[in-house]
Amino acid sequence: MGSSTIPSTFLKNIAQNGIGRHVCQLQRLTLSLCKSHPSSAAARKFVEDDLLDFTKGNPGIVFYVKPRRHRAPVLTAEFLNGYKEMIDLTRCTKEEIAQWIGLMRGRSGVQIMRIRKDWHTDTPSIQGMWNPFMFKDTKLNVTDKMDKSLSEYISKYKSASQKLIEMKKLQKQQKELEQPLKESTRVIQEKKKAASH
Amino acid sequence: MIQKVGKMSAVHNLRNIFLLHNSFRNSKHVVSMLHCSAQKYVNTVTYAPKYTSSRRKVAYLKELYRRKLEVGPDEVKHPSAFGCWNHASEVYAFGKRLGEEFDEQKLAQAFIQKSFVESEKEKQKNLGLLLDVNVEDNTKLAHEGRILASDFVKAYLRYSYPHLFEEGICAIHDFLMSHSTLFHVASNLGVRDLIQSPTYPPSEEDYITTLMAVIGALTHSDLSAANNDHDVTNTKKGLSRAELFVLDFLVPQLIGRDVMEMWELANPMGLLVGLLRARGLGQPEPRMLWDAAKNTIMPVYNVGIYVDKKLIGKSPGETAAIAEEMAARDTLRNLLGMSNSRSPLQLGDQARHLQLDYRLRNASVQEVTSV
Repeated sequence: MGSSTIPSTFLKNIAQNGIGRHVCQLQRLTLSLCKSHPSSAAARKFVEDDLLDFTKGNPGIVFYVKPRRHRAPVLTAEFLNGYKEMIDLTRCTKEEIAQWIGLMRGRSGVQIMRIRKDWHTDTPSIQGMWNPFMFKDTKLNVTDKMDKSLSEYISKYKSASQKLIEMKKLQKQQKELEQPLKESTRVIQEKKKAASH
Repeated sequence: MIQKVGKMSAVHNLRNIFLLHNSFRNSKHVVSMLHCSAQKYVNTVTYAPKYTSSRRKVAYLKELYRRKLEVGPDEVKHPSAFGCWNHASEVYAFGKRLGEEFDEQKLAQAFIQKSFVESEKEKQKNLGLLLDVNVEDNTKLAHEGRILASDFVKAYLRYSYPHLFEEGICAIHDFLMSHSTLFHVASNLGVRDLIQSPTYPPSEEDYITTLMAVIGALTHSDLSAANNDHDVTNTKKGLSRAELFVLDFLVPQLIGRDVMEMWELANPMGLLVGLLRARGLGQPEPRMLWDAAKNTIMPVYNVGIYVDKKLIGKSPGETAAIAEEMAARDTLRNLLGMSNSRSPLQLGDQARHLQLDYRLRNASVQEVTSV
């Protein structure tokens, strides 16, 4: 037996539950117990003590108590998508029964299986999935593969000439910043045109 | 009643077998087997020996199981057939589960199918009763619900996608109101056992009618001011409870789906030319961006569409023609604000206080291409 033979599923959210509003996926619980047999003692205790608190707090879950003579106590949970699960409560204490009910209340109706991935997304990529052409210059399309420019040496370090050019550019920028705000080039040109006419 | 342990276990065994046999008697197998000798067979097995050895019991149970498999699966029965059903509680829980305050009478009416009312009338006719079946079915509620859902979905889509063409809006609306989408939503709301129809399980149409009727029932249950505002000139008002219901259950079915694929575009390049002309932009220029493996059986061509020397859309394709068409689609997507990087739909808490304009209509393809 391995992971390929045992059924497995991806993480699912039934009908986008929770996106708009959250709907408890548990439709009804049926607690079938015996009125006299000792195996149902814990179930009977639960019905006496904790049942009303549960039903008051969960008006959306219908709770049926089904007395069945000489049978083991069984909790049947039915979910909105039609899935049905039964738990035998023979050896459970009252607290354990409450825990089982709490589990059913919090579950979706998806059958418990090995989940392949702990996450699911409908939008795996926001900026777009990478493809080999994504960061390639389009001029490659019109460049012959024997072109000399493709076999140029690309140095890791800047050459002296490059450094000088950059220093000049930086100086020019600083000068522009230090000068007071001038009228934009367009305004100057328009004034010139008006003056010339 | 106190019994000795030994005696009780024997009685217990007998009762178990008797009870098991009862279920066997109800199955179809016995119906087919009921000829004169069958009765004798049934009778002899009912009175099993008092102290049955486990070997005989196991053999008997195995044989029963084998015959049950032979006959086939039991017919699916409504939960009321098993004795645990309270319709009023179930209807109440249905409303509470959805977080809504329903008008009880309207909600109960929402589950009654027309076929059910008719079958009840037939039954009463056959029985010769003169009583009138005075219950109303859910067709009217379903009709109201459908209209509301349709109007709201369109208004919401127009609000979310203001630049998308009217045809695109209608295509997305048709997807949301399609049979399969509505059935998917309805089948996960837990209406299967509440639906009152002559057949069980109910048909897919019953599910959809019930879902629409529930929305219709919600319109009648809404006592807030927004719904009772009869001022027709006020086209912008808050969402009613029924509209919030549609927003929470139906609209999220768009999540994870490509909405541009829902709209069938026959000639994307033609539409693109018309759209650009209408917007006063230049004509589209398709250019090959990259290509690879041209001489093989799996070439890839990347075509980009330039408008006024700016790259608006691009796409790969198996041939240059396909790539060009796909690039036209991509360009349209970007121009209509439907790119994959657009902001997501407003759902849930974000959309609680939306104000939609119901009179609004998006631009139609005819308007753009006829210019």
